[in-house]
Amino acid sequence: MKKSLILDQSVFKSCSYKHLIFSYHMSVTIGFIVNPIAGMGGRVGLKGTDDVLDKAVTLGAHPVARQKAEEMLQAFCAVTLSNDDVLWVTCDGDMGDNELRTVGITNKQIVYAPSGSTTSVDDTKNACKKFLKVPLDLLLFCGGDGTARDIFTIIDKKIPLLGIPSGVKMHSGVFGITTTATAKMLQEFIMKRLTVGDAEIMDVDEELYRKGEWKVRLYGIAKGIIEPTYIQVGKSLFESVSDDDLKDELADHIKDELEKHPDWLFLFGTGGTIDHIAQKLNIENTLLGIDAVYQKKLLAQDVNEEQILRLLKKYPKAKILLSPIGAQGFILGRGNLQLSPEVINKIGIENIIVVSTPSKLIHTPILRVDTGDKRLDHRFADQGYFMVVIGYRLSRVAKLQTNSF
Amino acid sequence: MMAQITKRNANKFLKDEYDELVKNHFEWNIRILESGSKPHSIVNGKEVIMMCSNNYLNLSNHPRLIKGAIDAAKKYGAGSGSVRAIAGTMKIHTEVEKRLAKFKRTESTLIYQTGFAANSGLIPQLVGEGDIVISDELNHGSIIDGVRLTKSDRAIYKHRDMGDLERVLKDADKKYRRILIITDGVFSMDGDIAPMDKIVKLANEFGAMTYVDDAHGEGVIGEDGRGIGAHFHIEGKIDVEMGTFSKAFGVVGGLIAGSQDLVNFAYNKSRTWLLSGSHPPAVSGAQLAAIDVLETEPEHVKRLWDNTKYFKKELNSLGFNTGNSETPITPVIVGDSGKAKELSNKLYDEGVFALPIVFPMVARDKARIRTMMNAGLTKKDLDFALEKFEKLGKQLSII
Repeated sequence: MKKSLILDQSVFKSCSYKHLIFSYHMSVTIGFIVNPIAGMGGRVGLKGTDDVLDKAVTLGAHPVARQKAEEMLQAFCAVTLSNDDVLWVTCDGDMGDNELRTVGITNKQIVYAPSGSTTSVDDTKNACKKFLKVPLDLLLFCGGDGTARDIFTIIDKKIPLLGIPSGVKMHSGVFGITTTATAKMLQEFIMKRLTVGDAEIMDVDEELYRKGEWKVRLYGIAKGIIEPTYIQVGKSLFESVSDDDLKDELADHIKDELEKHPDWLFLFGTGGTIDHIAQKLNIENTLLGIDAVYQKKLLAQDVNEEQILRLLKKYPKAKILLSPIGAQGFILGRGNLQLSPEVINKIGIENIIVVSTPSKLIHTPILRVDTGDKRLDHRFADQGYFMVVIGYRLSRVAKLQTNSF
Repeated sequence: MMAQITKRNANKFLKDEYDELVKNHFEWNIRILESGSKPHSIVNGKEVIMMCSNNYLNLSNHPRLIKGAIDAAKKYGAGSGSVRAIAGTMKIHTEVEKRLAKFKRTESTLIYQTGFAANSGLIPQLVGEGDIVISDELNHGSIIDGVRLTKSDRAIYKHRDMGDLERVLKDADKKYRRILIITDGVFSMDGDIAPMDKIVKLANEFGAMTYVDDAHGEGVIGEDGRGIGAHFHIEGKIDVEMGTFSKAFGVVGGLIAGSQDLVNFAYNKSRTWLLSGSHPPAVSGAQLAAIDVLETEPEHVKRLWDNTKYFKKELNSLGFNTGNSETPITPVIVGDSGKAKELSNKLYDEGVFALPIVFPMVARDKARIRTMMNAGLTKKDLDFALEKFEKLGKQLSII
């Protein structure tokens, strides 16, 4: 197991009554990018702003991203970090430089300048290409799900992301809850109190949206920042356990489940946690799709609703393996629409296994369900709570909500 | 001379890992008590007011306990010669168990070598494959280790949250053979008490077994310090009352109290009990005397609580946050870990010995000084400690 001792040394220093010296060497480099038009569509009832900026402006939309970014930076600067602690790598104008200037941050480098007066998706992507050439510890961005997705297209898992919520939709797991919460997360990250872990990038399925349907899809797994999990190894000595180790434990648990139920079909859901479990079990899983597993072997990959229903005729006993995804903790209805109400009804709510690392469950303590079928949603609501597997043979209760976002 | 081939350096990690601890200041720097564990102790050559021992009733230096130890050693010798099961059960061991059962008002009791041995030896025998242990999220490390040794499933409920416990029970009821609910009686970080009456009620509803680790409650709560069963007037209704002689009783040794069936089961199955040497007679002699003292000298428990109430009240009126403590464990919550540590250091310099508890033992913003009351401290001692708390609290902008 990869473990590291925790940084907080107060207990041990106190035992020896040595003087505590705070020596956080905070020479970190943070990339910073603002999508100046993010969030403009929301106030005027659009589901996003990119591609429909003209329409948004016509409907009376005003820019909000700059204000949100400045709020966050102000909250961040309110804590006594010296100007030299952080090197900011950013873009010209409203894409970052102006916001930094407003709050008085001077230790910065500009690596990208947009060509026109209004910025576009290409500007975000081109700036990210520049960011990849700088050794960044973290990329802080201001925008919504669309911005997160554009950034992820270029950055992938190469740099951890942290989003200042400013868009119309914020389903992705990289966002802070508020501007102040984002500032606090950044401070904690700099003080090495937070660690890097998986975070889902989610957005509206544009193809369906054009057909008039509003469905949220999972686009990929980025790196975000998460609260580490500690285990007590001495009396006051703790070790932080990596997210991967915690997922290994979940894999051990699921392996037992598969062995205990040799004649059951298992549907492996979407997301990084389940993908890790599958990999550990040598099952070729699709990150963003639903995979059918039988007797620890992959039966069918990336199955759609129709294929699942066909499989269920052959294998009537089935379990679904789910993990909360995105910033709101959805287990059904976001990023796994293949698991339709008909599929859930056939399998039965009691045969859903929800797994989560403890840190993820702290971040999304409420599980959400939005199946699109009111009667089914009511059945989930009646249950009210779900047992969530958080370690090997270890579970705890999480509240279940069926309101959609 | 033939070259010596070493396959691997088997012991290198010992030094490497210790050096790493030292480098990061994580190592335990053991403080030496140069006096007995008393209200005024000499720690590393300095006289301090002791506010971090578990010697709640100041019995560890009580003349009757010392005499009990000496008399037993004179009568039975220094050691017991064996594990309990083979040839190490002396009459004095069984006397303690009988007297303890009477004191605890339970059918029977069993003495373990330590509290840790009780938890890590008994818990793994109570549940197995197809069973579930339901555990409060803030339970002590010895419970966690005991649970780790089981083959059962495990579920955690929110600290003292009966709604959460009920939800887990409802789910577990459908799936498991045996259900064991396990909790600390008094939680050692916050000094709050598990709602044992409600836990027992829920357990009865679902046919679950109850197990309470009353290490910080024995000798402290309930009538004359009889523990959590007496505190809630449910003596004999908790399936396993586990406790220790090492804290308020002032000696050492773990204990369980419950039915005769429990005790018969426990001593036949707990490997820690079966495979460790039994207590030296002096320990048992002091244990007997401690029960005697509790039964005949109620003033110690009374003084402990008088001191606790006074100290808490004064701390609160000075503006300190003492959390939700209901017991002689009073946390002085200062928030930041660095500040808690600094306050502890300065208190020590001023002659008050109380340790800081910091993240991740408690939440990041809930770092504290944990004070533990002692019945032997006088009002003058407490006023001295309060004066230091006030002075340093102001200096560090805590109050």
